[in-house]
Amino acid sequence: MASLRDIKQRISNVSSTEQIVKAMNMIASTKLHKARAQLEGVRPIYHHLSLLVDELGSYSRARSHVFFKEREVRNSLYIILTSDRGFSGGYNANIMAKALEHMNQGKNEKILVVGSKGSEFFKKREKNIIRTITDVADAQVYHGSESIARWVVELYLSGEADEVFVVYTQFESLLNYVPKVDQLLPAAASTEELNDDDRKFEPDILTYIDHVIPFYLHMSLFRAFSESHTSEQAARMINMDAARKNAEEMIEELIRFYNRKRQAAITQELSEIVGSADVLNTFE
Amino acid sequence: MNNKIELKITTPRGLKFEEEADMVIMRCIDGDLGVLPGHEPISAVLGDGILRIYNNDYVKKLAVFGGIADIDQKSIKIFTTIAQRPDEIDVERAESDLREAEATMIEELEENQVRRLQVLMRRALVRIEVSSHPEETIHYDNQDS
Repeated sequence: MASLRDIKQRISNVSSTEQIVKAMNMIASTKLHKARAQLEGVRPIYHHLSLLVDELGSYSRARSHVFFKEREVRNSLYIILTSDRGFSGGYNANIMAKALEHMNQGKNEKILVVGSKGSEFFKKREKNIIRTITDVADAQVYHGSESIARWVVELYLSGEADEVFVVYTQFESLLNYVPKVDQLLPAAASTEELNDDDRKFEPDILTYIDHVIPFYLHMSLFRAFSESHTSEQAARMINMDAARKNAEEMIEELIRFYNRKRQAAITQELSEIVGSADVLNTFE
Repeated sequence: MNNKIELKITTPRGLKFEEEADMVIMRCIDGDLGVLPGHEPISAVLGDGILRIYNNDYVKKLAVFGGIADIDQKSIKIFTTIAQRPDEIDVERAESDLREAEATMIEELEENQVRRLQVLMRRALVRIEVSSHPEETIHYDNQDS
């Protein structure tokens, strides 16, 4: 049975945890605010570009371009976006489960993993990690995704990767984030057929594709990072909020328990005094 | 009066600029492209340059670096990583960048020139050394014949 002092100790432990959790909640909500602004900025351009690339795929001249042409798949590159820090509930577990599920389709995978959580996870499972990026500062994300886009294009053109997927967490709302796998390359050729003469390209369609695809990759990656980052902060905020509530409840319960025990001790002492007084009285 | 063309510039920070214009001139990778309302549908790759927006004899200029333009009869959609209005440009920084680049270029030019001169000097020295003993030329003449 816990003594009064033990209970008191526990109450102070739990309340210092509560302080930490509160601070983390506040940090996450500030970061979430920033991340959302960034995400809302990049979504329109990504959306338009992906429509544009889709449409591009329906011109027969575009299909001969290396970025659109389907080829025999020997190596698949996965870009998996996880977080560096924990305390975000199921956020990392969900994204890694999604990635594993997709890889189990018998692909010979190469992995670029972002975030130390994912790096540990895939190392343990002895997956073929070819590049790891951790400790990404928020301000570097934009230029970082540009250099990754260039790296991806290089791998794709040199034949070291025949298809490229990005695995990220899409931010739907504060309470809802969906792990997703998008195919970046080869850009999907749409089923629609468009006449090559409907639209002109300056200087010509192949040069146009040469420029559009790296730009599209850059924006896709930047958007995927933003989606993941926003989801991570939202998940952390929600989880820390829940933790704070739990801590509060626990403290309340402990205080009640403490009071009851103290009362019990007082009652016991009193009854002992009264009892012994009675005994003394009977002897007088 | 609907003889205007709608211009929309989207950057990674969202819709940056929106305006109806009489004419827009943009810099593509192989030269300028002017667009009037009713232009044929065309997609173009943009280079680094000035985007000019003409409206009632008034010209607005934006700095646009790369990206693509999607043009049809009524609208121009530009997607680019950087589009800056004059008031957003840090002139001091641009000027110091320019100075730095020029200085580095001159430095490198000088280095190249020094290297070229060194080669020239070495060759000249070798030539002088070889030809500095005219009495030996007799031996060569023998071989010629």
